[in-house]
Amino acid sequence: MKGRLLLLQVATPALAIVFGMLIASVMILAIGRNPIDVYAVMVRFSLTRTDSLFSILFKTTPLIFAGLAVAMSFRASLFNIGVEGQYYIGAFCAALVGFSLRGLPAVVHLPLALLAAAGGGMVWALVPIALKLRRGAHEVITTIMMNYIASALLLYLINDVFRDPTQIGTPRVRTPVVAPAARVPSMGPLLAPLGLHGSDVEKLNLLLPLGVTIAVVLAYFLSRTRFGYEVRAVASNPLAAEAAGIPNARVQFGMFMLSAGIAGLVGLNDILGFFGYLDIDFPKGLGFLGISVALLAKNNPLGVIPAALLFGFLDRGAAGVQFFARVPKEIIVILQAIIILAIVVAYELLTRYVRTQRKREAELVVTATPVAEGTGS
Amino acid sequence: MNDLFIELRHITKRFPGVVANDGVDLAVRTGEIHAIVGENGAGKSTLMRILYGLYQPDQGDIAVKGQTAVIDSPRRALELGIGMVHQHFMLIPVFTVAENVILGSEPASGLGRLRMREARQRVADLCRQYGFILDPGAEVGALSVGEQQRVEIIKVLYRGAELLILDEPTAVLVPQEVEELFHNLRRLKEQGKTIIFISHKLDEVLAISDQVTVLRHGRVVGTVPAARTTKAQLAEMMVGRPVLLELEHPSVTPGQVRLEARRLRVPGGGKRLAVREVSLAVRAGEVYGVAGVEGNGQTELVEALVGLRPIAGGQLLVDGRDVTHATARAIRLLGVAHIPEDRHRRGIALPMAVWENLILGHHTRDEFTHGALLDRPGIQGFVRRRVGDYDIRVADTDAPVLALSGGNQQKVVVAREFSFNPQVLVAAQPTRGLDIGATEFVMRQLLAARSSGMAVLLISANLEEVLSLSDRIAVMYGGEMVAEFARAEATPAELGLYMTGTKRKDEARAG
Repeated sequence: MKGRLLLLQVATPALAIVFGMLIASVMILAIGRNPIDVYAVMVRFSLTRTDSLFSILFKTTPLIFAGLAVAMSFRASLFNIGVEGQYYIGAFCAALVGFSLRGLPAVVHLPLALLAAAGGGMVWALVPIALKLRRGAHEVITTIMMNYIASALLLYLINDVFRDPTQIGTPRVRTPVVAPAARVPSMGPLLAPLGLHGSDVEKLNLLLPLGVTIAVVLAYFLSRTRFGYEVRAVASNPLAAEAAGIPNARVQFGMFMLSAGIAGLVGLNDILGFFGYLDIDFPKGLGFLGISVALLAKNNPLGVIPAALLFGFLDRGAAGVQFFARVPKEIIVILQAIIILAIVVAYELLTRYVRTQRKREAELVVTATPVAEGTGS
Repeated sequence: MNDLFIELRHITKRFPGVVANDGVDLAVRTGEIHAIVGENGAGKSTLMRILYGLYQPDQGDIAVKGQTAVIDSPRRALELGIGMVHQHFMLIPVFTVAENVILGSEPASGLGRLRMREARQRVADLCRQYGFILDPGAEVGALSVGEQQRVEIIKVLYRGAELLILDEPTAVLVPQEVEELFHNLRRLKEQGKTIIFISHKLDEVLAISDQVTVLRHGRVVGTVPAARTTKAQLAEMMVGRPVLLELEHPSVTPGQVRLEARRLRVPGGGKRLAVREVSLAVRAGEVYGVAGVEGNGQTELVEALVGLRPIAGGQLLVDGRDVTHATARAIRLLGVAHIPEDRHRRGIALPMAVWENLILGHHTRDEFTHGALLDRPGIQGFVRRRVGDYDIRVADTDAPVLALSGGNQQKVVVAREFSFNPQVLVAAQPTRGLDIGATEFVMRQLLAARSSGMAVLLISANLEEVLSLSDRIAVMYGGEMVAEFARAEATPAELGLYMTGTKRKDEARAG
């Protein structure tokens, strides 16, 4: 039973992806192209070229952080839609620490920048969570509002306060370049001995292994620690948790801060790992993609990794089909959306199926063994 | 009068994973009161839903007055003269009795104008015909539960039902209201109506019915005339083994006061006080029972006693220590266990595993933790012992608790709350929704706790349960304790008078 359940859990998203591809096929047919050719181009372009593979990994990195951030809040029955705004603020704080301090060694400067990013994200989440826990204001509303504020604030800070003075007179609106000691080291030197070279390889940085490590640590933390247990209790029945003496508000606060802290790191892949400055056109929308990633991963920290990879793959594939199959990349955006919808439906069906299976199993046990004989474990 | 009103032949109904009805035969004669009894999950409700057209049987057929019939909707059931009085009332509180009764089949003129006067007249006629005491113009929200039930019955009669199905009609009534209901039912029977009465209260079944059909695991165990059977026999048919209906209540000398409330005031929703100046003291080795119709402040009282609801005034003491403003956690750590009135709300987390539910609230104990980590081997040992000791029927304690039956879920709660030697037990409606077997189990556990010196506060709407377990019995009405009795003094009829607010203790003391 357990093995079969695991298989189903893996098969469900796979089926949803296939379903999404089928629907997208109809659209590809409608614009007069052969879907099989398009998918073939997509797969060939994305998976047979070194630059594509590394580009996928680079795009996956922030999605891991974003997916984890959203998943952590969902785990505590909170909807942190504010990952978007929290990573804007986190990115700015990291850039600020990066360019305003000089002469620190990398072992101090980089961690400081990372902490600043996480701290910025947390500070930005304080108002929504305080309003939620004290006044019951719904965090979906408040975090969305905070996103708008973060967006406007960031434009102001980059354009009017911290704009790199050497760029004035050019169309480039960005902060000064961060100190080398605050930059996240590239994985290029590690990969060079393996014969991997090129700009896409160089782009990949140590935030990818950091993201994977955080995912593994969180998985362990949630399943094995006392706090993780309390999180499960609060999420699955807050009233029963309260009756058991678990401080609901404290648990939810902790998880929201964890979520926001991770959210603060989302933008660093681009800011500290690649560009080295915060441009007014820095990549946006990663926080919202994180919601899709968390959904696909069913809020499982380890599941976030393949889910983020899928979105990285689709993103790269979109560029491929646009260029080589001359299919608008919006088709791939639609594909993403349909996959998400299919996933939601498929998970719901799976949950219902598992529930009836479990019921049936439990009842079989009861009728088969009238007296339970140490059936525990 | 020997013709059959309805005959079910070999009805089988399957749901994914269960056979709810397995070849059920049932014959109900016109003009009789036919009780259907069985434990939870025995298939009573499914059978009635088939009869009322809500479900279609997979096999078997139904004959109404000798004619084979397909009942594919409640509308069709009503056309055949079959009406259902639901356990949960489906009434609109702001409408009058007459308005509620006609809802869905309003008498109207050709132009669609509602003939309210005619409706009211017809409702009044029905009440007179069947001897129902009910004012057609009264607003339903202001009526008592018993009166609301009468409205439900009139509703069904208004639609021309010849056969009335009553699903657990006495569950919500106090003894006096049960008497009135039975009076009404007998009157209906005299007028030629047929009644199917679903219940698991055996005393009532024996008092009102002509025939009793017992279901177990979806099958008919037998149909017996009520006059020629006993409670014990019916219970044995239901459970499949002899059941002890009268629990031994050995005398225990009470010890010191463990739980004490002094003039406790507890807010309900908003500013209104749900508990007004309640004082009580529960001693070690006694069961202190609180009887009362639900919604008279019991929920709020219990929540206040275990630290889940702020106390507006008065004092709460556990072992002489003031815990009026203590947290739920602090009160729990002083040895106060709590069986919540609604296990799905406060007792268990349904999606969590059985083992996780068994340690809820104990999960911070040293034996279950290694620093910040949970100590799985330590927990496993505890869980295995609890599952064995309390006979929780589960193959895999990693399965979510929602896979268990209601009785087994309650066993999880009881097993957990009885762990680590609590000194005080606050048990709210501990047998609600449980079948005879599980009820017997829980009641035994409560008495065992009492014998071992625990102070047990039992809050229950089930009078029989309060009477058979308690050493002292208080009645709660309107947020106050209106009476207190010693075990020997309390009778159901007397308690009923206090539960309905007919009598108060000051009058009782005077008289």
